Amino acid sequence: MTAPLLDVHNLVVRYKPRGLFAAAAKPAVDRVSLSLPAGSTLGVVGESGSGKSSLLRAVLRLVPVESGSITLDGQDWLAAHGPALRRARHSIGFVAQNPFLSLSPRLTIAQILAEPLLARGDKPGAAMQDRIAVLLSRCGLPPDFLPRRARELSGGQAQRVAIARALALSPRLLVLDEPTSALDVSVQAQILNLLMDLKADFGLSMLFVTHNLKVVAHIADQLMVMRQGSVVESGATERIMSAAEQLYTQELMGFGRRAQKSAPTS
Amino acid sequence: MRCATVKGTSAVTLLDLQGLSVTIPSPAGPVRAVRSIDLRIAKGEIHGLIGESGCGKTMTGMALLGLTPAGAQVAARVFQFDGIDLSTSAAVLRGRRIALISQDPAAALNPVLTIGRQMDNVLRTHSPHSEADRRAGAVALLAATGLPDADKLMTSYPHQLSGGMQQRVVIAQALATGADFLIADEPTTALDVAVGAQVLALLRQLVADRGLTILMITHDMDVVAAVCDRATVLYAGLSVETGPASAILTCPRHPYAAALLAALPDAAPHGQRLAAIDGQIPPSTKPISGCAFAPRCPAAMTLCHTVSPPVRVQGDHLWACHLAEGAP
Repeated sequence: MTAPLLDVHNLVVRYKPRGLFAAAAKPAVDRVSLSLPAGSTLGVVGESGSGKSSLLRAVLRLVPVESGSITLDGQDWLAAHGPALRRARHSIGFVAQNPFLSLSPRLTIAQILAEPLLARGDKPGAAMQDRIAVLLSRCGLPPDFLPRRARELSGGQAQRVAIARALALSPRLLVLDEPTSALDVSVQAQILNLLMDLKADFGLSMLFVTHNLKVVAHIADQLMVMRQGSVVESGATERIMSAAEQLYTQELMGFGRRAQKSAPTS
Repeated sequence: MRCATVKGTSAVTLLDLQGLSVTIPSPAGPVRAVRSIDLRIAKGEIHGLIGESGCGKTMTGMALLGLTPAGAQVAARVFQFDGIDLSTSAAVLRGRRIALISQDPAAALNPVLTIGRQMDNVLRTHSPHSEADRRAGAVALLAATGLPDADKLMTSYPHQLSGGMQQRVVIAQALATGADFLIADEPTTALDVAVGAQVLALLRQLVADRGLTILMITHDMDVVAAVCDRATVLYAGLSVETGPASAILTCPRHPYAAALLAALPDAAPHGQRLAAIDGQIPPSTKPISGCAFAPRCPAAMTLCHTVSPPVRVQGDHLWACHLAEGAP
């Protein structure tokens, strides 16, 4: 058994109370532990206020952690600072919910994809242009998209560019925050297919954060259900989808078609 | 035959819409937001209007409310609500017979007025009753939407309520107008799953108790399955299929409706590729020749690209396709 790529142990994230004399706030993430093996996908599911976004931000080192540990690829991820942190960030790619907010409207697609490479210190030139074209085609877009700008793209195309950008530095871990929530059902299917292909081709690990249990259940190996900062239930996807132990998890599976199939309502 | 034929019902038609089109002028030429939509809704029915972004579902709702953007041209062969011509009186019926429940309740409510004040603003416009009567009416309406402590709530501000409670207040306001036809535009999209389910149950109950009729605009097939009696599927501003909701969900006839259901994440076994629909919707600035879905349709024939599809009828299930039996 190899060491997990990402290991979170007893993580607590707490935001500052709002007023001077306000009582200490409840932790947004309360003693959460998870373990993500290399090449596997963990779906973190929760509703608004569940702490899933705070957990994600802590893993991205965007919010301070109160206590607990995060180990990335065997290294103490919380101990990295300054230039070391910048270098270590190369191993994490991030895809946000709304591609039109995460892609600069001023830059061309080629410039957007070049940014992470330039930030790493790569020299602009033919090799970089080749790399960019390969990234884009790997995400299902032809090279004639390179001179375009984000506003000329559809939502699905823009999200493909955002995924290509996240893969630019060949990360081992891809963190996705509601990557299909802003997309239509038919486009969502395209993006989920792309993520499954990328995972198979590059051996990527993915941390997929969403409120939509059905979407993540389709591609995740493991699921973790969060509520009010704590983990309600976690385990293999098949086990949770077929026999969720917690009523809350069953509630999250939703109403409608699934519910109708299993229990016809009177 | 895979699917049973459902017999037509003889309910009273409340809304009858045939060949609705909404065209909006733009610098790039006229935008055909709605090309041709047929919609027939019986009294007491929850009718789902299903489609993806840009299919014209919200613009159809706006046309029913007389709220299309300035300069938009609205045309229809038949555009009737309860025998009244909506092409001239949509703005008159809005807030009297027809009310809107929008997607984001936080945006629909005024953040600086109490719930009581906002309820009274609606009631004052619509009824000649005294202030005390109106207050009692407001409390009763809030209670009817399942809000606890309706009396106390009258002095609360919207930010003090959760999203689900806010949506209930919006529904109470819609009821306060006395409207019998509600247009619910993605009413659960901004809410958590369990809260959304409660709001849907409330709408279902209001239909039963008060004889309301609801047009449920949604992209979520689970919403359709949970509350809709009938549904219409839109594609590129066209109504392509209409029928009983259960028939559309289990036995879609139009290839687009079938493809949309097949693209859902729970339609394929875990970890297997989903049946994504290749291509994109045709641009709304260009006219369509033949069937709008033909360029993306797996079963398209040469004919489909040039000739408009005929309407197929099977009981009260209608779809527009060159294939006699619909989706393969």
